Amino acid sequence: MLGDSRKAQEVFHATLREAAVRAARGELPSEPFWLFRDARWRCLEATKSDLQPEPVELDERDVAPKAESQIQRLDPMQLAIWISAAPDPQRSALALFYLDEFDYREILDIAELKLSELSRFLAKGRRQLQAWLDSKFPQPSEV
Amino acid sequence: MKVLSSMRRQRSLLNCAPISARQLADRPMRSAISRADESAEFVDQQNFDRAVGRVVRLIAIPAESAEWFSEKDLVPVSKRTWKNTLRNPAVLAISIAVAVIAGVFVFNFVSHLNDFPGSATARKLLAVAASTRPLMLDPVNAEAGTLSDLFFMKHGLEHYDVPEEFADFGTIGCRVFEDDESRRIAQIWVSEKRMQFFLFPAERDSKSGTVLRFPGWRYVHQEGWTGAVTENSGVCFMAAVRGGDKDLEPYLAKPKE
Repeated sequence: MLGDSRKAQEVFHATLREAAVRAARGELPSEPFWLFRDARWRCLEATKSDLQPEPVELDERDVAPKAESQIQRLDPMQLAIWISAAPDPQRSALALFYLDEFDYREILDIAELKLSELSRFLAKGRRQLQAWLDSKFPQPSEV
Repeated sequence: MKVLSSMRRQRSLLNCAPISARQLADRPMRSAISRADESAEFVDQQNFDRAVGRVVRLIAIPAESAEWFSEKDLVPVSKRTWKNTLRNPAVLAISIAVAVIAGVFVFNFVSHLNDFPGSATARKLLAVAASTRPLMLDPVNAEAGTLSDLFFMKHGLEHYDVPEEFADFGTIGCRVFEDDESRRIAQIWVSEKRMQFFLFPAERDSKSGTVLRFPGWRYVHQEGWTGAVTENSGVCFMAAVRGGDKDLEPYLAKPKE
């Protein structure tokens, strides 16, 4: 979400601290995903003061059958930075989806999205990521 | 229009198709995936997502934060509360059935709590009392206590004695009949509160044949009638009246002069 481990850690600790305080006061919400929603809002808050990416239309490409080999060559931190550079709520959608800890209903709940929106953000994210992969690791035929 | 909307929703679901099978609890999602399972586009998408997912798992988590997650689930398993359990239709149905069975059991238990040897016969005789008309009895104008001799002399019934609490009451009629178990029952109708008396053999132990005795007076109830029953010398006496226990209590409590 943040593409910065120091900020991520700050948000993580702030979220847990707040949760501990609320638990001590007996004010913990009963619904299951409040902690994740809270963490997400803290992430968004933390990036508000950052340099914002220019609103440019990224290239999009259809997902290629051989994308797997391109992805394998990716450095995990590069991918993290690429996801964190996406505008929210697409960033939240991609981060929560590829974390592979939540089903789509839970993602809709945490990111406060509709199914059509989540679907659009993921489809667009894949196509943009494919375009980025193609530019980063061109396929032999494309050279 | 509906078909179009359904296709759009299915497309949306496919775009959100989970990376791993463990997130496949949702039925509409399972159905959408099973329909698209063969399509090359969907296979490419799944391979793409799995590959990205594998890289995402390699993203380093700061050590200080990682230790919080050691082997624990990110999503807390929601505990099944008592309220939720009770709202489950199956649990609700079973609970109601158990409650009804328990209710019937308690009702039977309570209704048999005051049972005594001969109470079943007494109840049957209360039904007889309810259906008896004066014409069915032989007219007799005497004191109830004096009918013991009549029962003995005419019908050979020993110890068919009216207890002293009711011995002074003037009779309207009496009869001796056999019930469905061929036991000989004496029935007396008295003028006092149109009360009826019954004398019948006390219940006996099926093995030893000894009389099953019980002390004092016991009440039985049937169809708006109440009977006060006592046992003496192997014969039960029942005073039956239309009404409740209160209608008989004054006679039973009255000290005999």
